[in-house]
Amino acid sequence: MHSKRLGWLLLAPTMIILFFFGVVPFFYVIWVSFHQWNPFAANPGKIFNWAANYRQVVFDAQLLASLGVTFAFVFFAVVSELVLGYLLAQAFMKDFPGKAFFRTIHTLPLIMAPIIVGSIWKLMTTPSIGIIPNLLQSWFGYNLNIGQSALAAFTVTVVMDVWHWTPLVTLSLIAALVSLPPDPFEQAQIDGAGKRQIFWHITLPMIAPAVVATVFIRLMDALRTVDEVLMLTGGGPGSATRYIGVHIFKEVFPRTNYGYGSAISVVVLYLTIVICWLLYVGLIAPRNTKKG
Amino acid sequence: MSFAYKLGTSAIAFAVTAGMAHAQDAAAFWAEAAKPYEGTVLHGVTESTPPSNYIKDVLAPQFEELTGIRVDIETTSWDQMYDKAIKDMEAGTGIYDMVYIEQDIVYAYLSRDFLTDTTQLLVDNPALKSPNYDEGHFTSFAESFRGDNGNLFGIPVEAFIKTYLYRTDLFNDPAHQAAYKEKTGKDLAPATTHEDYLAIAEYFTEWGQANGGELWGTTSQSHTGHPASWYEYVETVLPTFGIYNWGIDAGNNYAAKVENGGKMDSPEAKAAMKYALQLRDLAPPESVQSTWTETATTMAAGRAAQGMIYGENTAWIASDENQSRVVGNIGVALPPLSEGVLAQAEAGEGYVGYYDGGAFGIPITSKNKEAAMLFLEFIAQDEVQPDWAVAGSRITNTATYDDPKVQELDGKLNGYFTMLKDDGRLYAGAPPYPFHAQLREALAPIYYQILTGQIDPDTGVDQMAQKAEDELSALGYRQ
Repeated sequence: MHSKRLGWLLLAPTMIILFFFGVVPFFYVIWVSFHQWNPFAANPGKIFNWAANYRQVVFDAQLLASLGVTFAFVFFAVVSELVLGYLLAQAFMKDFPGKAFFRTIHTLPLIMAPIIVGSIWKLMTTPSIGIIPNLLQSWFGYNLNIGQSALAAFTVTVVMDVWHWTPLVTLSLIAALVSLPPDPFEQAQIDGAGKRQIFWHITLPMIAPAVVATVFIRLMDALRTVDEVLMLTGGGPGSATRYIGVHIFKEVFPRTNYGYGSAISVVVLYLTIVICWLLYVGLIAPRNTKKG
Repeated sequence: MSFAYKLGTSAIAFAVTAGMAHAQDAAAFWAEAAKPYEGTVLHGVTESTPPSNYIKDVLAPQFEELTGIRVDIETTSWDQMYDKAIKDMEAGTGIYDMVYIEQDIVYAYLSRDFLTDTTQLLVDNPALKSPNYDEGHFTSFAESFRGDNGNLFGIPVEAFIKTYLYRTDLFNDPAHQAAYKEKTGKDLAPATTHEDYLAIAEYFTEWGQANGGELWGTTSQSHTGHPASWYEYVETVLPTFGIYNWGIDAGNNYAAKVENGGKMDSPEAKAAMKYALQLRDLAPPESVQSTWTETATTMAAGRAAQGMIYGENTAWIASDENQSRVVGNIGVALPPLSEGVLAQAEAGEGYVGYYDGGAFGIPITSKNKEAAMLFLEFIAQDEVQPDWAVAGSRITNTATYDDPKVQELDGKLNGYFTMLKDDGRLYAGAPPYPFHAQLREALAPIYYQILTGQIDPDTGVDQMAQKAEDELSALGYRQ
């Protein structure tokens, strides 16, 4: 009884902080989302408007376009990071000269603030003066202009995200690979299994929990990307990289459309939960059912 | 020893003594007035610009030395500055004691009662009134920061005009003059019409492409995802075509469309849009990612023969060898205009370009209003202005124009300060709309689509006018 009370006491500070900084703001956003509220409107107060903001979400072409490019961005970024992260993890499992050095260098982007990453890539990709357009021009005759080409801007944002976050995937998968027992692999080799068979039937199933956890983390992160893209392209050209986080930022802060912006935030949170749930149902639940 | 000599010596001695006494009086005032607030730490937020950095690096430490009041100025990006300031004032947290108020947002802040009435604050607290502070010392730009009661709600810290800069070395080069004459039949001189400006831009872009590709005919602030490009259209290009206040008629139910009495989708506005796009096509490739800062950088790098550049950059482009490759080669002129625009501006019925600038205001939520007021009085003194003007090419007090340091720099800038003094009246700040940022954010995405070619210019202009009216209706300004 005493230890139970002590447990609650020890948990109390965390729960209080969580309540005030997590639960209260969450319900506040939901409450605001049912209001028309722009402090610079003729009527700057909050006007309860039922679900009008949610209705607007469904018919907002700009928002739907933002969601479309966001899903494309998330798909390409997360899949690329997963594949590249796995290959790098496998590479770092082997011994080679300078391994420690490369491993350190490889993780450096992780410690950078997203806004810095955006600045660096902006410097590297600005037409005329950036190193990347210059190299692409002199090597391949390709004119990279992320201020003009929607595809180029989209691709560069994906590459930037991959550059920034692949190390996280690598580290996570290295941890998973290191923890694998050697016996199943030795047994498979004795039985004559090829590398591909070993990967599909032994390695992948065994590291699946780590892969799924990493995908969840990256998926949620990629869905709320703001700083890097805002710094690099501002959401342009046009609305080519106006990902949902950028869209919400522009709606809520410069436009001070607090009510509608809150409604979009709630919808995006809902979509994120649904996507994660679908992934869980698709990847984790079948394994658990089989085990059962 | 002659009488005249004695008289002269006495006069000098008197002046020196009086000056020292004045300085001692001033120092004594700051020490005395600041006593109740000694140890206070003031927090300010502003955009990172040369004038703001001067406040942070020079004026704030000087003030702390005199008063014991520390001033922490946070210099950040334009977007972040507004984000932080508005959130603080909206939530009433009182983090900031001073916020930068750009001229275009002061009407929004005033409409929300975000700012302290500085005139009234000094009336209520006479002990705070510095003998060196006088609202009458400010240039007419200060009028932008007065409320309906005529009182001042922001102390001006920056004031510039967005000028037409051109490369004197190129324009005065006999070879270019001859080649241009041969191509166009006209003399190569700063353009006074849009047609001339385009012809000059076209000439230098073609010349640049034929001679190493490092020179273009004009700058262009055409970022395809940043509101700077939209500002270039509404504040720099539209007025030169005779479309003022973004083409919105505030006195006519905030009409934007021609059919309702506005001008946002007028033939002149559409011509202005096509002109802006032509300029973009004649500008360096980086222009599609250029905001107000990058156009200045392009000009300073010697990559453009002419351009419309915000005045805060004029001094360093023309005189700072550490940052600019065109030192001594910059001329200033009025922008190219449509017929009748200059006459309208001179009659006070229009304007030729953007009078930019800002002030420091005290949020109503500040917990240190009195100490903040002292600091604002300190930075508003005539005495601190000349060095500040040289560092940031900004002038907010009339006396600054006559300072020898400023006049010397004016010579290097080919008369920028003179133009600010004499022709400043032809320029205007942003229209007094409390919905400035809200409308911008609604319209800018359409403008970006025009820039990228997703929408043709005429359709885009029509869409912007429709969107403006829809947005103003949604905000409750248009009935």
